[in-house]
Amino acid sequence: MTDPLGREERCGLLAEAEPGELRALADACLADGADVRVLLAPEVGCVQTQVREPVAGERFLLGDVLACRAEVELAGHRGWAMRLGDDRAAVLAAAVLDAEVEAGRARAAEVDELCREVARRLVEREEREWAELAPTVVEFEELT
Amino acid sequence: MGYSGARGGLEAILAAEDLVRRARDHAPVAWADTEQIVARFRLAVDRVMGEAGLFDEDTAAAAFRQAEGDPLEASHLLRAYRSTLPRLAVGEPVDPDDMLILRRIVPAFREPDGPQLLGRTTDYTGRLLEKPTARPEADEHVAGTPKPRTDEQRRPRRFLDLLRDLGLAVDHRGEAEDAEPFDLTRKPARPPAPRSAALAAMARAETGALVSLWYRSILGPDGNLHEVTLGEVRHGRLPLRVKHPHTGNPVAVGNFRVTEAEAIEDLNGAEEDRSRFDVGYGLCFGHNERKAIAMANLDIANRRFGKSGPLEQLLLLTTDGLDSGGFLEHLKLPHYVTFRSMVERKRALQAAAGTGEGPAPRQSEPFGGQC
Repeated sequence: MTDPLGREERCGLLAEAEPGELRALADACLADGADVRVLLAPEVGCVQTQVREPVAGERFLLGDVLACRAEVELAGHRGWAMRLGDDRAAVLAAAVLDAEVEAGRARAAEVDELCREVARRLVEREEREWAELAPTVVEFEELT
Repeated sequence: MGYSGARGGLEAILAAEDLVRRARDHAPVAWADTEQIVARFRLAVDRVMGEAGLFDEDTAAAAFRQAEGDPLEASHLLRAYRSTLPRLAVGEPVDPDDMLILRRIVPAFREPDGPQLLGRTTDYTGRLLEKPTARPEADEHVAGTPKPRTDEQRRPRRFLDLLRDLGLAVDHRGEAEDAEPFDLTRKPARPPAPRSAALAAMARAETGALVSLWYRSILGPDGNLHEVTLGEVRHGRLPLRVKHPHTGNPVAVGNFRVTEAEAIEDLNGAEEDRSRFDVGYGLCFGHNERKAIAMANLDIANRRFGKSGPLEQLLLLTTDGLDSGGFLEHLKLPHYVTFRSMVERKRALQAAAGTGEGPAPRQSEPFGGQC
């Protein structure tokens, strides 16, 4: 038995999930006719990005990152999601999945399992990436 | 501005726009889809995102396609699009030490903490043009099975920290209050401006303008001659975190790629600590090393010379591509009335010369009055 994910971790992993798998699981969650309300319709906008530069520790604004967010209420519990990009359907589905877990509904474990699958995939992606990068580690000789 | 408005010509304008659309979108060649542009013109897409100040590869690729490959026009489209968007959140301050590196070189030091990772680069290979008539055959490539990536290989300690350990870097930490950063998208920056304004301006400056200004600061007439050593260059991914609206805790909603540079300056001024180096910092969206390196060098040059010479003004007022490009391109708009009035002045001067009355006293024009 694995520990349930924390809410921030779950939101972060749902933000990295594929749109198709989010929509499929959200459809399954809502198939029982549960009472769902869209509190915040999926909205595309930007997140202002501030960087704390390392020389003096001063913050500056690097620019904006395109993102979308949504919020729903499912069985009396709120679900919230934000993802990068502009896929409104995916962010709405992620909000439904967040609410499914918050409400402790029937498919909460499936949502957690999806998140764990996404986490595994991210690790694999990083491993594949490192397999490509590692051969480019270099040690130059000094001319004497 | 002194140029006149113009009426009419609507049909011709629509026909011209239609010509652009038909020639661009219906050219008898394969359609370049967004995925293809992101994958094949990665550096152009990254440059557009950086100069527009909006990170989203697909949107930048769409702008690049619509602009027919003109990066400045694509940045213009992207900025115009951004201006229509609500601001959903202000991200939590990003710590560049969180960067997962895809490339990292330390030209100043052979054995820094962590790897010298070349990554995806042609820096060390000859530039030989290839003109394949079809997609090149893929080489047999078998990815190795490297050992698991260590933390040091993921996020190596920065070179600046090593300089600090050695007591060789001027330490600026704690000098400034944690001031709110200047927001260029709300208010234009004018000298004197805080460093956060200069850094933000450089982060979205036109790449060529920044490189040119950097080169001017090295070889130009301002006399800001300074020794340049590149401490470190990185390309990698940074997490974007926002505050969760229900828990108040930070949540990572994804990653964005950046290029980062540290420039090492050999201090030699009378008032400066000549026993130490100073460090300039550059960071911009996407993979754009030229820009990040120029930014880092100009950051330190601006610290040293920005207030005593023209550098800060040049940085803030002349490096934005939309500003400079837009001003230049507006010259193509009808200026009939402006030019007619100039012609009339010339004729009046000639007429006055003919009558022996001499020219009328000169009146200075307001800034931009000739445009």
